[in-house]
Amino acid sequence: MTINVKQDWKDIVHRCFRCGYCKFTFEYSDFNCPSYKKHRFETYSTGGRMWLIYGIINGDLQWSQNLANVLYSCSTCGNCMENCRFDKFNDFLVDIIEAARAEAVKNGFCPEKQKALLERTTNTEMFNPYGEPNSDNEELKKKYNLPDKAEWVYFIGCTSNYRQKNLRDATLRFLKKINLDFTLIDEHCCTSPIIRTGQIEPVKEFMNYNIDKIKEVGATKVITSCAGCCRTLKVDFAKQGVNHDLEIYHTSELVKRFLDEGKIMFTSEFNKTVTYHDPCHIGRHMGLYEEPRDVYKQIPGIKFVEMGRNRENAWCCGAGGGVKIGYPDWAVEISKERLEEAKETGATILSSTCPFCRTNLSDANDKFNLGLEVIDLIEILDQLEIKVNE
Amino acid sequence: MSNAEVLSKLEQIVGKDFASNNQEDLFIYSQDPGVSHPRPVDYVVMPETVEEVQQIVRFANDKKIPIVPMGGGMTLSGLVIPIKGGIVLDMKRMDKIIEINETSRYALIEAGVTSGKLIAHLREKYPDLQAPYPDAPPSITIAGNALIHGSGYLSQKYGDHGAMINSLEVVLPNGEVCKVGSCAISNYWFTRGPIPDLVGLFTSAFGTMGIVTKISIKLFPKPKLRDIVIGLIKELNTIPGLILNLTKTDIPEDLMIALAEKPDFMKGYAILLLYITGDSQDELDSKTKILKKIYRKNKARFMKLPPRYYDVFLEQPQFAAKAADFRKGGGFEYVGSFMPLGKIPEAIEKARDISLKYGIVPTQVSRIIGRGHNVMFAASYSFNRADPEDMERARNALHETNKMVLELGGIPWKAERDGQKLIIEKMDPNYKMLFKTIRNILDPNGIMNPGNWEV
Repeated sequence: MTINVKQDWKDIVHRCFRCGYCKFTFEYSDFNCPSYKKHRFETYSTGGRMWLIYGIINGDLQWSQNLANVLYSCSTCGNCMENCRFDKFNDFLVDIIEAARAEAVKNGFCPEKQKALLERTTNTEMFNPYGEPNSDNEELKKKYNLPDKAEWVYFIGCTSNYRQKNLRDATLRFLKKINLDFTLIDEHCCTSPIIRTGQIEPVKEFMNYNIDKIKEVGATKVITSCAGCCRTLKVDFAKQGVNHDLEIYHTSELVKRFLDEGKIMFTSEFNKTVTYHDPCHIGRHMGLYEEPRDVYKQIPGIKFVEMGRNRENAWCCGAGGGVKIGYPDWAVEISKERLEEAKETGATILSSTCPFCRTNLSDANDKFNLGLEVIDLIEILDQLEIKVNE
Repeated sequence: MSNAEVLSKLEQIVGKDFASNNQEDLFIYSQDPGVSHPRPVDYVVMPETVEEVQQIVRFANDKKIPIVPMGGGMTLSGLVIPIKGGIVLDMKRMDKIIEINETSRYALIEAGVTSGKLIAHLREKYPDLQAPYPDAPPSITIAGNALIHGSGYLSQKYGDHGAMINSLEVVLPNGEVCKVGSCAISNYWFTRGPIPDLVGLFTSAFGTMGIVTKISIKLFPKPKLRDIVIGLIKELNTIPGLILNLTKTDIPEDLMIALAEKPDFMKGYAILLLYITGDSQDELDSKTKILKKIYRKNKARFMKLPPRYYDVFLEQPQFAAKAADFRKGGGFEYVGSFMPLGKIPEAIEKARDISLKYGIVPTQVSRIIGRGHNVMFAASYSFNRADPEDMERARNALHETNKMVLELGGIPWKAERDGQKLIIEKMDPNYKMLFKTIRNILDPNGIMNPGNWEV
């Protein structure tokens, strides 16, 4: 048995010494790995997973559903990559886990819930993991009076389009408010959920479809309000060999750029205490830590406070890597820990820049009655008066 | 009793989530990061309370199932891989810091508290105190380290970490809880005596005498500043004299001698890593001045390194696991040993020969313990986990080093099973008889990490 990309990984998987640095936050005050913190068996640490994968490669272990479950209980947050001390190995830890998941899929051990996610996404009536009828976004275009051709495409993403419509609508209003020349496309899933769960067979087709649609409207730039879409368009397309010359921006990047260039200015106040949750997909996976913070800090009246674990050290919300769909109860427990950390700061608002984080954090907030307001940065900006300098 | 019934009973005790005989859990716990061959494990269990440990031990005793307690699992010498199957008792859910006593300067903690957790706790809440912990990853446990006579921070000044144990709570092989040290008499876990010292029964016993569930470890005052004064030694035979003169001063907090033939500039030299502390830069400067003079008088010389090296050497805990990446193969093990100071030059030469014989870059460290009363001498052998021949070479080098250590009058430390056999061959017969007698009384069914210390 070999993992999918055996030739790529076989020479490095065994570099893991299982020293355990990967399990800790920078200052060792806590565990940073959601699945290790829950299960506590060494098996569920990144080191454990590396050794299991090596065991599969060299034939000491055979695939089983339990083994696949160990691999699938990683939220792919990448905290381990920040703390593993072996250079030029640490960069690949999550890639190795995803490659092993792809091999689990090939061997028939993809867990059922994650499998259903692929079925819904590839359903030609849906093209999204939520099982909703596909929206071609024509109604939204009409509602917001968007052109057929534009410089920018707002790639809404499935979570915003089908589950976090407030966030989507806030983004649309904001982009209109700042007079961005943008439109929408009949988008299909960006493929983040199926890549993360190792179901990579249809990925290129989806990617090429979305690129074609973006180019059809004459756009050269894409804005996403979803951290997962952003990472996929910016990082995973290239990894999958699907190259494009589009400029990809997360909303926080665009807003920061416009603020820096003096194109927009916030002219009303937001008098609340806000703390920021770094989404893994734009944080550890892309290094966008300061851009959103710079935006929050330029909002008049805001009191911006940091949680103890922030930036590279941030605790994952627990939604990523297929954990939300595979282990929904546990996923909100992971978020609960983040919300409690947010409360310790004295903030009344826990804000993020990812609809998937927003979903899971909100679910936990409701389930555990934690009393925070969970909203996206763009939803805060949507409440502000903005002066646009043409 | 079937495997399913045993598992069911263990699940009843610790909860379904914390007992397993899944192949992947057994696979992970059947091996450690060292060079030992994997050995089969039947169950992995993670208790959370001393009562759960008691129930597991009573059950295992009743059914004659071996139990192997595990802390961080980083001894590298296979001590937590069962030799005769059975239950691995992973203690890391017992991770409460129960008390930091600032006046008597000790930490009372559960056995699964990692060095990372205690370091972070002290830094945040008790910045004037520091704990003894080894140059090992933050995932190791304080109890595990102390119980194998570990060494590391503060060992030069205050001795090996086994000597820093004040008191223990132990679940004996019959399931009874026993307190040893002052906690047997008093609410203060502050000292071992003045009663017959039974703490020693459980140190370097590798879980053969009982399962330690709580430990009180000494804490020490933490000076504001810490620095390193590096020396270069060309003539190995000057080492004992140099160390004696340095430790006369009471200046070194920690003191190590490192030899490595990579990078190239280190070849042919022993590097003295001497840590100093103080409350002001003036104090550090004046200590440095004294040390430089001693270096000169003892044919060593002071060496200044680029700043990035200081960051490496001053990190707490030091990133010693880097050695596992020398070969980009995820493996290293070392023969650590307790060695008389006078034998260090010879040990270095002989370990170097062994390394070269097996095609391994010579890498050794000698850590001075307690002002030179003892030296933890370690010869390290990196290997590539993906290369069985390389692993075999490392195994042979380790075994040969064990023999060499014993020939020089040293004793292999946290020795793997084969190393233990070599030690036992040289052991005084009456020591063996005493050990065996005590062990048989405590553990008549032989369930406690059997296969270790088989005298």
